[in-house]
Formats: sequence, structure tokens, C-alpha cells
Amino acid sequence: MIFGSEETDNIINEESGGYEHVKDYITIGQPNAGTLAKLQELQPSTTYGDPIDAIIVGVETQHRYLATKRTWTRKVYLLTDGENPIELEDWEATAKKINALEVGLFVIGVDFDHDEDIPFREENKSHVKRTNEEFYHKLRSHLHRGDVGNCDFAMKEISRPDIKETRSVLQGTILRLGDVDARPEEAVEILCKTSKATAMQRPKSWKRFARREKNTAERNREDAMEVDDDDKAVFAQLRMRTEYYIGLKGDGEGSDAGGSDTDDEDGDDKNKHVEKVEKEQLVRGFKYGSSYAPCPDGQFPRLATRKGIDICGIFSAKNFRREYAMSEVTYVWADTTQPLQQVALSAFVQALYEKGAMATARWVTTDGSEPKMGVLHPVMFDRVDCLMFVRMPFAEDVRNFPFPSLENLISKKGERITSHPYLPTDEQMEAMKHFVDAMNLKDAGEKDEDGCDTPWFDICLSYNPAIHRVKQAQFHAAVVPDLNTHPLPPPHPELTKYFDPPKRVLKRARDAIEECQDRFKVREVPKKVARARKDGHVRAHDEDDETLLLDKAVKRTKSSAQLGGTSQHSQSQTLRTQSFRQAKKQDDSETESETEEEEELLLDRKPTNRALPTPAPEEPERGQAPGRIIGSTYPLEDFRANMARGDVVTKAVEDLGAVIKEIVLRPFASRREDEMIQCLRELRRVCLEEDEIDAWNAFLRNLREACLDGKPGNIEFWSRVKDESRMMSLISTTEANELGGKSDVSEPEAAEFIQR
Amino acid sequence: MASYEDWNRIEEDEEEELEDASYYEGKKDVILFCIDCSPSMLELHDDPNYEDLQTCHLYTALEAAMNIEKRKVMVGPNDAVGIMLFNTTRRNEKDGQSAEIKKGNFVYQPIETINAPNVQEVMRLLEAAREDPNLLRETFPPMTEGRIPMGDVFTSCNWVIRDGAPKTATKRVFLVTDEDDPHPGAAKERLITTARTTLIDLVQAGVTVEPFFISTEDKPFDPSNFYSSVLLPTNVVDEDDAGGNFLPESISIARVDDLLEQMRIREVPKRAQFSVPFQLAEGFTIGVKGYGLITEQKKGSYKYFVDLGDRMDVVNSRTVYVDEDTQAEADKARVLYGMELGSTAESAEDEEGEEGLRVAPANCKVFYTAEELRSFRTLGLDPIIKLLGFKSQSKLNFEDNVKHSLFIYPDEMTYSGSKRTFTALLRTMLNKNRMGIVLTLTRRNASPQFCALLPQAEKVDEGGWHEPAGFHLIPLPFADDIRAAPVQESVRASDELKDEARRFLDKLMIKNGAYNADAHPNPALGYHNAQLEASAFREEFDPAAFEDRTVPKYDQMHKRAGTLMKAWKEALLKDESANMTIITTGSKRKADVSVDEAEIRSKYDSGGLEKLRVDQLKEFLKSKSQSVSGKKAELIVRVSEWLEKHP
Repeated sequence: MIFGSEETDNIINEESGGYEHVKDYITIGQPNAGTLAKLQELQPSTTYGDPIDAIIVGVETQHRYLATKRTWTRKVYLLTDGENPIELEDWEATAKKINALEVGLFVIGVDFDHDEDIPFREENKSHVKRTNEEFYHKLRSHLHRGDVGNCDFAMKEISRPDIKETRSVLQGTILRLGDVDARPEEAVEILCKTSKATAMQRPKSWKRFARREKNTAERNREDAMEVDDDDKAVFAQLRMRTEYYIGLKGDGEGSDAGGSDTDDEDGDDKNKHVEKVEKEQLVRGFKYGSSYAPCPDGQFPRLATRKGIDICGIFSAKNFRREYAMSEVTYVWADTTQPLQQVALSAFVQALYEKGAMATARWVTTDGSEPKMGVLHPVMFDRVDCLMFVRMPFAEDVRNFPFPSLENLISKKGERITSHPYLPTDEQMEAMKHFVDAMNLKDAGEKDEDGCDTPWFDICLSYNPAIHRVKQAQFHAAVVPDLNTHPLPPPHPELTKYFDPPKRVLKRARDAIEECQDRFKVREVPKKVARARKDGHVRAHDEDDETLLLDKAVKRTKSSAQLGGTSQHSQSQTLRTQSFRQAKKQDDSETESETEEEEELLLDRKPTNRALPTPAPEEPERGQAPGRIIGSTYPLEDFRANMARGDVVTKAVEDLGAVIKEIVLRPFASRREDEMIQCLRELRRVCLEEDEIDAWNAFLRNLREACLDGKPGNIEFWSRVKDESRMMSLISTTEANELGGKSDVSEPEAAEFIQR
Repeated sequence: MASYEDWNRIEEDEEEELEDASYYEGKKDVILFCIDCSPSMLELHDDPNYEDLQTCHLYTALEAAMNIEKRKVMVGPNDAVGIMLFNTTRRNEKDGQSAEIKKGNFVYQPIETINAPNVQEVMRLLEAAREDPNLLRETFPPMTEGRIPMGDVFTSCNWVIRDGAPKTATKRVFLVTDEDDPHPGAAKERLITTARTTLIDLVQAGVTVEPFFISTEDKPFDPSNFYSSVLLPTNVVDEDDAGGNFLPESISIARVDDLLEQMRIREVPKRAQFSVPFQLAEGFTIGVKGYGLITEQKKGSYKYFVDLGDRMDVVNSRTVYVDEDTQAEADKARVLYGMELGSTAESAEDEEGEEGLRVAPANCKVFYTAEELRSFRTLGLDPIIKLLGFKSQSKLNFEDNVKHSLFIYPDEMTYSGSKRTFTALLRTMLNKNRMGIVLTLTRRNASPQFCALLPQAEKVDEGGWHEPAGFHLIPLPFADDIRAAPVQESVRASDELKDEARRFLDKLMIKNGAYNADAHPNPALGYHNAQLEASAFREEFDPAAFEDRTVPKYDQMHKRAGTLMKAWKEALLKDESANMTIITTGSKRKADVSVDEAEIRSKYDSGGLEKLRVDQLKEFLKSKSQSVSGKKAELIVRVSEWLEKHP
């Protein structure tokens, strides 16, 4: 209902005239996007309307709409800036009518004065507005239900989290103790009702939209004209569709076919022969490894089960492992209409409670559904006894991962180590004790009515920030025309009130925290630059691959920082080697700390093969062995970089040869075959041009021997080399002469070498 | 239920937190069983479980391998296994890649995705070996002279894995042997060195070796004779704990009977679910990794297959979002998010009845981007565990639970000094009986969650298995998750009745009992898997052979407390308060449907149940917590059944 409109359109006016400038703008109904769109279209008028008229029309319209819905709660909100003149006669009759219909009237005034929260007073308030505000308060005092408030305050309160109270439905079930079929005279059955005690709520979901693309012709036309701003964008809501594909296995990675959701890249790049299939053609089944077990129904026959909660055993509550609880919690009540059942359950609960015990139970929700195991915990409320059930894991649900001991460190000699950087010292323990004491929340909350300290953090006041923030965002997007000009305001402070420890506690703990920082000396370890690895297994030992023991880690920060600039991909490897040495030297000298002796005892700290500090997949360095300037990770690049430098040709040629040979003779060599052939080509070219002909010839003979006769050898690779034919063979005199070099290999010999 | 539908739901609300499991299932696991085949492994001894049967360590090892295969195939149908034996004179045919396998090693099953024929092959071999204990010796003749160098074993493992394992998989070798000193004599030092070098190669290829050393009274196993210098320190480069181990924890010594148990612990490769900073206070942060030690193991979801004539092939599905009017597929990167648009009479007029469209000025922003959506859920937090303070452990109530817990363990690799700090905190909290209250955001697309931080002390039990030291993170419900108790009042039992109940509870209580997860394998899952296995093996499934171990031990219960339960029931019926009637304060009037049980019973006895109205039958069934669905005939059957069972 709008008032102050140019037009008049309302039921009272139609029937008996009057009530001008009040318009039934949006008829009563559920609001949606259309409602909001219509509100956006409202334009200021040049006239006034009487709010009392509007209230009367509103109440009447609502009354007629609710003629058959007597139980509904009625509310009328009046939104005004208070500047409209009001006919102040006879308002008592209106108030009486509002009360008679049990309507709540809430007046929300733009810039109305108010005292709550942050008090607000409008300066230079007009006389009309002041009078009207007073009137609204007077009206309010005559109403049973209602309020007068400030608009900004109301807007803020909208984002305050509120909890939608859900009433849990009571479900019937039976609590059984003993065998009700075979021994009914002894077995116990209690009729029960269950309801949820906790139930996870999730944020409301979003719908997907995409801007509808214009067809090409249209777009071209627009491009030419530089799309003008009044243009409308059309967004269409998207629907989900599932498409099915079979990937005909073409390439070697056959075992990859298993993944259920192919992501886009996978689908497009790897499987060139993808074929779309229709859902109707498909059969359901399960995978048993690479075998297939058909199962047209999508499930095998189920285990026959009977609805109810069977008690399996009783155990002491102190043996309950809290971390095993794995579900929401459910109440189990006695049937609400049968005293016999209530007394029975009450006796059971009280007995359990008194014993300090819990029951193991097997729960089947409906006939034929899957049984769940859990525990029943007795609860005695003020006037009712009940049980609470929580699921516990089945044998399959527990993962017993092995974790190394934190307390028992054993040296290589088999002795227990009692002092080590992994173990806290007495001083550190002392500092931690102070910290834990200082950070106690038991009295850190607000004072209660009696002035006593209360604990800080109350589950009942901890709102799920995601739910309420998403709600706020959805509401906001719905009511503003443009998110660019009206960005989402910050979250309500209630949502983040538990995001940091209370100030009081932090203040109290300040010294303890400083003490801890000083004594524990925790340092962030700089992240290693993750590099795309070409091959997981080929990595020579790296001087720098040391286990991170504590004291070292700190120094390492320094040396890595020095390296930072040079570890770029394209940098010359030679340079890097130098800085490495430098860094290493520094590292060594600095490790001469008091812990060194002890470290030597530790197994990790072996001079030759040290444990790798990072997960295997990362390739921390370029993998050059000590003394080499070519790494095994990017040999070709390293080689070229060194060539560019110019003065290390002989060394580079020698090293690349050695690296190629190493790679070729290792497992998984086939994956780098192409790369190695390229290296060979490059190496041969350089040898020919830079007069390293003898080096090439010696290398190639050596490589052939290693591939064909050596163990493990790599016959396949040599046949790849053979495929390169003459151009990859020994460098002959003829070839060498062309560039002014020398060779001791004749042309026929070279031709023959590669053929053999 | 229909798991397929469940996937879709996850897809649809992709922006919501994905359940943790998906992370686990993404990675493939490859295990190569590498089993010693020397004479001592083949030596026959009496089977501890069956009389008149002889068995040997090799048999046990193969059986354990077979069982692991059978279990793994259910959890990760894409996982691959292989079996290699060493110290045997049997050789692989000289063809293809197996030519690389060193002498003395025999690849019984190369690494392949687990499949029914391979599992059945081992099963058949084991069955035959049961009949003829010498069969294994004949099939895999042991080397009688000396032993092959362990270096050769590791090299061969490398080749076998190289041939069969996909690059991205986690690769592990389960090494089973009973010889603690394979290379005594002069060459020992040299052989140790080569063994270690080859093992390093293996580790660098991303392979972890998990040793299972069989120790018996006659032949105790001492790792320090050989293995501690070989397996150390390289082998402890376990993805998560580099540098953390001093002696490798994974040196597991099993009595041969425990072999399967030991392997089961390592069945699933240990993977962290998240790795985040744990902020104890501003400027006081350590690194931790989180693990899901309690995670619901669900049935595998069914797949779609297509019949290609000669074989069945798995169908992959892909979800796309389309504009239904134009049939255009939306580019994922350009999808925007907003609320459902309802249609109204008004909008219909404007937009010619097109639903699901929103028109806005071109330069206005009316929807959110995916990135903004994420920030609404995370409230701008980056992944972290943030300590808020401490409370007494007694403040953690039974009902403050919504889902499974997580476990955190320090990570020295992200913050040096994490371990000592973590240990100090753990000790202090255990001493003072405290729990922490923390704010967590475990992954970038998760939402903030408050958790209780519960310390767990390290406990070692005799079997060598221990409970690790660390903290359990117990997600606390939000205010939004708490439901009110709908029942405020009911009749309570007298002390006499309660005492009577205590008598039978005393009898039923197990001393030092606790909830024992191992005693309760999931029957629904087991039933499903047994049928799946039968179907894959093309065998008949026998439902009668299936044992549900979660069914209460009735005999024991009745033997202990049967008579006391009976006495309690009798006392209950005599109790006054049990027989009062409850006045319900229902607001709605209904036709009087209450029917006396006695009346119904007499109708049942005289065969006159048909005379009752449907609402009366329903009311009766409802009062007995029975289902009230179905037609009248079904209701009558159900009422009759109930009355029959409750004379």
C-alpha cells in the first residue's frame, strides 16, 4: 500500500469514496523478484497522503484477505519520513479497531529520534515531523502490540542473526533389550519417540546465472557501434544437465579410465575419441577393480533389518571416547501418551545414570534400512528422563594411521633421547603453563545479573557465520539495484564476536605470550618454490637436501633468501652452483652450534644420504650432482645457458654426456626418451661446431656400450638412437674437415657404427 | 540409498563444502607385496587355528596379501597391486620387461588394477596349498644356496613398479621377510651399501617401503642386524613426516598371526586432509596437519556402463550448466550467482512469460561472482586453526556434537619448532585437564567452524600399536544447529522400579568395557561387498552364510540377566504411576479414534478386524510405533502381526 501517490486505488475508496492518494500497489501475496522489481520502479510524487488513511486501508485490506485465515499473525508496518500532514481527529477509533483485529503496528520512521543502542537526534527537525513523531508515540501507547523506531536502526537489525527455530518431528520407534522373538517373556520392549537434538544447518543455496550471449551478427553490429550504456543485459538461470561419455582408450594411460567425474581438461585433451552416449543405453553396475559387476537396480538386495533400537551392552561412561562420536545427536523419549512406557524408560534411564553408565546400541530407523551403531547416554531433565543417541564408528570407519611418537625419540644407538629440539625444555614447559592458565575462558565472559563472571563462548550464542552472511548477501542483492554502487555492508558484529579471544584474556596473557614467543622460537619455514617436475624419480643428491633440524632451519631461511634471486628458471646454472657453494659454506660454519654433537647421533643426520625434507613430488632443485654444471632436471636448458656463457664448453659437454647416460640407464627412462634424443642432437651439434669432436665420439661409444651390454642397460633407447641414423653417429673426418676440425673416424666407419 | 542421486546433489551445491571423502578417493594407491621365499619362510608348522593342518609363513603372507587385495578393491576400485617373491629359483618367462627382473626374484602378479581373475588366482593357489602343504615349495622353489642381495630385490621392485604404476599414485612396497641378517659374512658392508643405494633410488621414484618383519620365538627378528642401517634414514621419507622419525616407526615386527592386522593398519596410505597454521596467539603460530581418523566408510557408488558388444565399458559423466531456452552451455568461469527468481503475474506481463530471466541495465551488477560467494562463506578468513582459549574438559557435553572429529599432529616442515610447542601444549593441557576452544577453517572453500580441542596422550600397547599423541578437533554445533527438546514432562519411575532396573543393568555391564569399534563391522556394507565379490567372481551369493556381528549377543544377555528382566517387567505392570492416564492438551478436535487394546485384541481373536475403521487401525499402530502407511488390508495384516507377536 503506498500513500501520497498521485493516483488513488483502494477498496474503501471504491466502495465509499474518500481515502485519496492511497494506492493498493502490490496485492498481498508471497514476495519474489517481481515484487522487488516493482518496488524499484517507485518514483517520488508531488503530493501528500495521510498515513492514518493508509493504516485504515491497510488494516481493512488485510482483514479481508485473511477472512478465512483466522489464526494468522497480523502485522502492519508503516514506513514514513514523518513529513506528511496527518488528520489528527478520531485516531482513538482507529486504535481501537487495530486492537480489535489484533494487528501489530510498527512505525518505521526515517531519521526518527531514538535512544536505544546508538542514540540519535535529528538536528533542525521540521515542526510537522516533530509533531508527527510525538503523535506516533501517543498512538503506540494506545495499542496492544506495536513499536515506533528509527529506519537506520531497523535496517541494521535486519542483518542481526536470528535463529529459525525448527520443531523436530517425533518419530516412533521401539527400544529393545533382549530377544523379543525367542524369549518374549524376558525381553523388554519400550515404545519410544525420537527427535533431533542437533541438526546441522547449511547456508541457503545459490542459483546459477549466465549472461545470455547475443548471436554473432548482433554482436558485430554492436562492436562497431561501441555498445551503448542503456543496453540491457539479459541473465538466464542455468539448469544442470549431466552428460555421459565413453572414452575409447587410445593412448598408454589406459588405467586412467576409472575416474568418475572427468574434468574438462581431461576430457578434451587426452581422450580424443570421446563418444557421447545417452542415459537410456546405460546399465548400472559396480566396479570390482578393473572387473565389472552388473547390478541393474543400482543396489544389491539389502540386509533384512527390523526397525528399532537394540541394546547390545552396558559400559562405564568414563570409557566413552568422545572423539568417536560421529553424528548429530538424537533424543530418545518414551511414548508421549503411554504412562507405562514412560515409567519403563524412566527407570532404565535413572538406573543407567546412577551407575554412571552408557549403553551400546544398534539402531535401525525403518524396516530394511542400514543399521547404525552408537551409544545411548542417560539424561535426567527437570521433569523428564530420556536418552541421547550418537553414532559411533564401525570397524571400517576407523583409520589407524601410524604416527611417530612425540615423546620417545630414539637415537641410532637405540637410546632414548631426552633433550632435543623436538622436545620442550623445562623453561618452555613453564612458559606454556603460564600461557594455558592465562588463556582460561572460565571467567572471561560478561557479568551475569549477580555481577559474577561467566564463561566466555556459549554455543547457544555462536551463530554460524556462513549461514547468516550468505543470507545477508542474498537479501542485499535482492533489494539494491546495483552491487557496484551499493556494495554489501560488513557482517553484523554478532557473527564475528567469537573470532578472536576476548580482550580481557589477551591482556591478561600478554606476558605469557611474550614469554612463549621468546622461549619456543617458532619460525616459519620458507616455502620451497614448487617447480613442475619433469620426472619424479630422477634426482641426484643435492648438497642442500638436508633434513630440517631446528637450528638449521633458521639459518636455512637466510641462505634460501640469498638464493632467491638466482633460482629463476632461466638463470645460468653456473652462477647457481657458485652461490650454492657459498650458501653451503655458510651453512656449515653456522651449524657448529652446541647441538651439533647431538645431531650427529641422530639417524637423519648422515653425511651421505640424508632424508629428504619435502614430500617426494617436489623437485626442490635442478638435480645437479656435486661438481656438475648440468642438472638432471632440465639438462638441455642448463646446457644452453652454459653455452651462452661461452667459457665452460668442455665442462658442459662432458657433464651433459654424463647426465644423458645417467638418465638413460635409470628406470622410467622411456618417459624422457624424446628429451634425451634432443639433448643428443644438441650435444652433437655443439661438439661439431666447438671442436669437441673427440669428446662426442668417445661419449657415443661409451653410451652404446652402456645401453647394449651394461646392466641394467637400455636397448630400446639405443634403437631410438639408431633411428636417427647417420646424423647421430660418430663424427667423421669428412664432417670435421668442413668446419676445420679433426676426427680420427673415417666416414665408412661412422656410417657403419650406427648400423650395428 | 541411491548414491547416484547424492552425487548430483553435491554437484548442485558445489559451492558448499564438499565432504572430506572426495579428497581421499581422488588418489590411487599402488601396493607391491614383496615376499621372501627362502626355506625358512616355507618351513611347515602346525596351523594355530586348524587342527591337522600345516602352514608356513609364505602361506600366511600370501593370504594376507589376498585379503588386503579383497579389502582394497572395495575401498578404491582403481587401486593396483602386484606380488613379487624373492629368494626363489623360479624365473619369469624371458619376454618383455620382465627381462629386467634380477635373478632370484619372481614376479607372481605384475602390478595391475585389482581384478577378479587375479584375486581368484591367489585364492585358488592358497586353496590348493591347503590340500597339499608342499605345493608352495614346488610352485616357488626356494634358493637353497645363499640369498640374493637385498639391493637386487629393491632394484627389481623399482622395475616392477615402473612398469605398472601410474605416475601420480602413491606407491608402496610391503616387504615381508623373516631374515634379519640376510648377508652375513665378508661382503656384508658392501651389500648393505648397495641395498641402501638401491633403496634410495626406490624412494626417489616416490616409493615407500613398509617392512613387515616376521619374528618368532625360534627365530627372533632384530632389525639392528641389517635393516636399521638399510632402511634408515631414507625410508622414513614418508610424505607427511620427513625428518620426524628417528627410528622408523614403520619397522613393524609381527607375529605371523598378526601379519594381516599389521597390514590392515597400513592398508590405506596415510594422507593429511589439510595442512594449516595453528595460531596459539598473535605472533605465536605453529604448523599442523589434520587427518580424518574417523570417517564413515560408505559403499562404492554405482557406475554406469555401456555394452560395447564385446565388453562393458565404464561411462564417465560430466555436469554442464545450460540455458534451457537457448540450449547454450555456460562457460564455468562466467557463471554468476543469485537467488531463485520466482515468477509473478506482473513479471509475466513484462517479460512475455519467460521464466528464469533477469534483465538489468548492462553496466549494473546484480549477481555475485564465485569468488564473492566464497568470501561470504569464509568471512574473509584464510585457512587456520586459531586458539580462543581454554576450558575444563568437563564443559564438553555429550550433546555438543554434529559430525566426526579430526585429528591434528604437528608439522615441523612449515614451522620449525612446531613439535616442541605442540608437545608442551599437549602435556600442559593433559595435566590441567583442559580443552581448547578453537576457530577453524580447514580449507579454502570451507566455512568457519568452532571446535573443541581435546588432548590425547600417547599410549603404547603390547602389540606395538599405539594411540598417537595429538589433539582431536571436535566440531561444535552452532546455535543454529541446536533443536529444542519437544518433550517437557513425563511420568517418572519410582525408586523401587529404578533399583529393580539396576539389578539387571549390573549384570549386563561389562567390566572395563567400552565401545569397541573393531567388534562392529558394518553389516550393510559387508552384505553389499559380499554380493559384489560374488558377482565379480561369478559365484552364487549365499545370504545365509552372512553373519551380522552387530546383532546383540542375546544368549549371553538372557543367561546373565533374563530372570531379572522378567522380574522388572512384572514389577512395572504392577506399578501405580504406570497405569494413570495422560490428559493430552491437543488443540485440535478429532473424531474419537482411541480404541482400547483389549477391544482390538478381541476383534482380532474373533477375526473381526475388518470392522474397525482405517483411522482406528492407524491409531493403534501408531501407539505401537508401527508404520501406518498402506491400504486397509495392509494395516490389518500389520495389526495382526503385532498382536500375534505380543500375546
